[in-house]
Amino acid sequence: MSEQTSWANPLRDPRDLRLPRIAGPCSLVIFGVTGDLSKKKLLPAIYDLANRGLLPPSFGLTGFGRRDWSNEAFADFVKECVETHCRTPFRESTWNNLAKGIRFVQGTFDDKAAFERLSQTVQELDRDRGTRGNHAFYMSVPPSAFPIVSKQLADSGLAKSSEDAWRRVIIEKPFGHDLESAKELDRVVSEVFDPNSVFRIDHYLGKETVQNMLALRFANSMFEPIWNANYVDHVQITMAEDIGIGGRAGYYDGIGAARDVIQNHLLQLMALTAMEEPVSFAASDLTAEKTKVLSAVRLPNDLSANTARGQYAAGWQGSEQVCGYLEETGIDKSSTTETYAAIRLDVDTRRWAGVPFYLRTGKRLGKRVTEIAVVFKRAPHLPFEQTAVRELGNNAIVIRVQPNEGVTIRFGAKVPGATAMEVRDVSMDFSYGRSFTENLPEAYERLILDVLLGEPPLFPTTKEVELSWQILDPIEEYWAGLGQPQPYRSGTWGPGEADEMLAREGRHWRMP
Amino acid sequence: MIINMPNTETNRIARKIEELHQERGEAGNDRVLTLIISTEKDELKEALEAANGASREHPCRVIAVINDDGSPDSTPNQAGQTTVTTSNDVPESPVNTAHSSNVTAMAAPNATCDVITIDPDGAATDLDAQVRFGADAGAGEVIILQPRGGLKRHADTLVMPLLVPDIPIVTWWPTNPPANPANDPLGAMSGRRITDAARSNNPAATFERLAANWEPQDIDLAWTRITIWRAMLASMLDQPPHLPVTSVKLTGGERSLPLQLLATWLGRQLAAPVSMEYVPDTDFITGVYLERGDGTLSLTREHSDEAVISQPGQKPQTVSMPLRTLEESLSEELRRIDPDEVYASVIRG
Repeated sequence: MSEQTSWANPLRDPRDLRLPRIAGPCSLVIFGVTGDLSKKKLLPAIYDLANRGLLPPSFGLTGFGRRDWSNEAFADFVKECVETHCRTPFRESTWNNLAKGIRFVQGTFDDKAAFERLSQTVQELDRDRGTRGNHAFYMSVPPSAFPIVSKQLADSGLAKSSEDAWRRVIIEKPFGHDLESAKELDRVVSEVFDPNSVFRIDHYLGKETVQNMLALRFANSMFEPIWNANYVDHVQITMAEDIGIGGRAGYYDGIGAARDVIQNHLLQLMALTAMEEPVSFAASDLTAEKTKVLSAVRLPNDLSANTARGQYAAGWQGSEQVCGYLEETGIDKSSTTETYAAIRLDVDTRRWAGVPFYLRTGKRLGKRVTEIAVVFKRAPHLPFEQTAVRELGNNAIVIRVQPNEGVTIRFGAKVPGATAMEVRDVSMDFSYGRSFTENLPEAYERLILDVLLGEPPLFPTTKEVELSWQILDPIEEYWAGLGQPQPYRSGTWGPGEADEMLAREGRHWRMP
Repeated sequence: MIINMPNTETNRIARKIEELHQERGEAGNDRVLTLIISTEKDELKEALEAANGASREHPCRVIAVINDDGSPDSTPNQAGQTTVTTSNDVPESPVNTAHSSNVTAMAAPNATCDVITIDPDGAATDLDAQVRFGADAGAGEVIILQPRGGLKRHADTLVMPLLVPDIPIVTWWPTNPPANPANDPLGAMSGRRITDAARSNNPAATFERLAANWEPQDIDLAWTRITIWRAMLASMLDQPPHLPVTSVKLTGGERSLPLQLLATWLGRQLAAPVSMEYVPDTDFITGVYLERGDGTLSLTREHSDEAVISQPGQKPQTVSMPLRTLEESLSEELRRIDPDEVYASVIRG
């Protein structure tokens, strides 16, 4: 689609805003197709796309896995996943069309012959289904498997395409575990795939969220004038999860909260909050602004006073009794992996000079919430009795990312009828609609469709990934020498260390 | 929850809604639009079902104004309802009693729902109303208004006190639209006017009138119904070889408005001659054939939910392409409420 320069489709009118984009002939190969993500998200999303008529009739879907399955057995597996998790109604006719393009290739990642079979399967799809050599590879596998899969794809000739066709690869976060490994990963993948064909996906940060942020900041005139150090006291970015590590012990231990969430998700949210206005919303212009602001991030000199980490201990998560991190199955009793991390960062620009950005994330916290709180300075003069404003906090704009995406504005209002004048915090709330999401596409639908259409994604580029590691690496290095993280009771808002970190500067964490 | 309000007034309805919002602890202002439905009583149920479905994507306040009294002889003549007999202007109490029972018959969605009737406090009025909340009202609230007598001619000031402040107003005529929607009292106050000529008593004549009076804010669902066809055809041409289309043939029911619109659109965009072949016993589009240097590309839909794509040198392929439901069409229309320039060029011919 992107290469067509001279020819313009007469049926595509730029003014025709209602025409949905339907992916051209292509197929999707999923590695790790029996995994949780694939079962609950990817396969249902593919069905939903087909049901909405956004996939080409010639669509092919190939699963690659260890199980000894026939095409039919795999199709049954897909059907079961789809029926359980699809968002749109299950229609037999949609399914039958989709099922015709379903294939399975049995094998392991180190099995050369399996990739030969994959190559044949894909060619057969080209021939029988008319996928025309366009294939996307979804790596729903641990990062440690990326190099071998990439190499096998290259060796079997799958990674390269003929002139008119495309090959794309989709990689999920995490993109490495430090700067060096991220570069290595990038090297391995870009050796095999053209940089423009690599789609790095952070499913926490859907395109919808990014666009909502852009609209809020840049389509309105009332926020931008106060979006700077003259008015903003500090910014808090939180991603809290109420769950523990679940079955991800193998992945999580040794990685920890900061690498898992701060490096990609929170730094991206921070970049979107702090960046200047991009000259356009094209992916490249957006990246330019995000890169600028990430490269202006400065770490605090004293990491001991400006970072905090913790590890969840046994307790009650809401109404459920849960064990501590060290008691989780598969976790070493002496593990020093943090499940909570908080850091302070500064942005050395005129707009943000002196405004701290506090980033925190953790597992087994009070509730599941992701939000950005821009907290404003108090009014320079309050023409009230001291007692009247005792209960008045700072004004704040809170952008809720999930759940219940929306915006809350907190400000002071007079308590009605009180004998003495009293001003107290109240909040005004906007929600993207209490039922908006019911009919709105899943993030994965949009994401897969963008890949198949070759739409430039709003996901972090290599440069951004590397800048993020540059920010986080010194902190990780410092933490590595500290020993055991401070335990916190499950269901609370993290370790005392984190509260002290803000208290020292006369601030406190918001209760989301 | 359904609240019947026979013989009521708009400010009582507005108060009731405010009260219900407070009782339920929700702000009534997080709606994205007010959807006014100007409908005949017989169509109310179906229209509300579609609107409730669409409200899940576009939380809205739905105000349905019934423009007839539901009796068989009172179907409004669509060419402009300017003549109102004087007898209708006189509110008589027996009529009111009759209408009170009509209110209960305002198509309750299911038998088990919670129905409350608020007794009128005072003299008879020209208005019966019903307010629906919660599970009976999609993602918003539904207000059904049944005006009588002279009030019927003032639908605009009737709904004015019930509009959600500061958000777009969309008016939808599910069946017979006024001849000139822009001049209709409800149409004039709306930023978007949705008609559905195909469901009117005389589709061809209705559409012709609508086209003659067309304004940029007007849209007919006949256009919405071909979005999928247009998208499929466009994506077929996306694929190489990129040769010019030399001629177009369409097949379908002679009375199908979407067929006519699709033909005009294809003719304009492809700058190629278009021919039609009418198929008996169908009201839909059944096929589009594009002639190109390398052969014929076709998209056909013989059965209701599957289409077949044929391209030169390839096996025909089936693709799921169900007929669009009213709810889907309405949802699509509410997604973009700015003027559709492509539709404009098709309408202007």
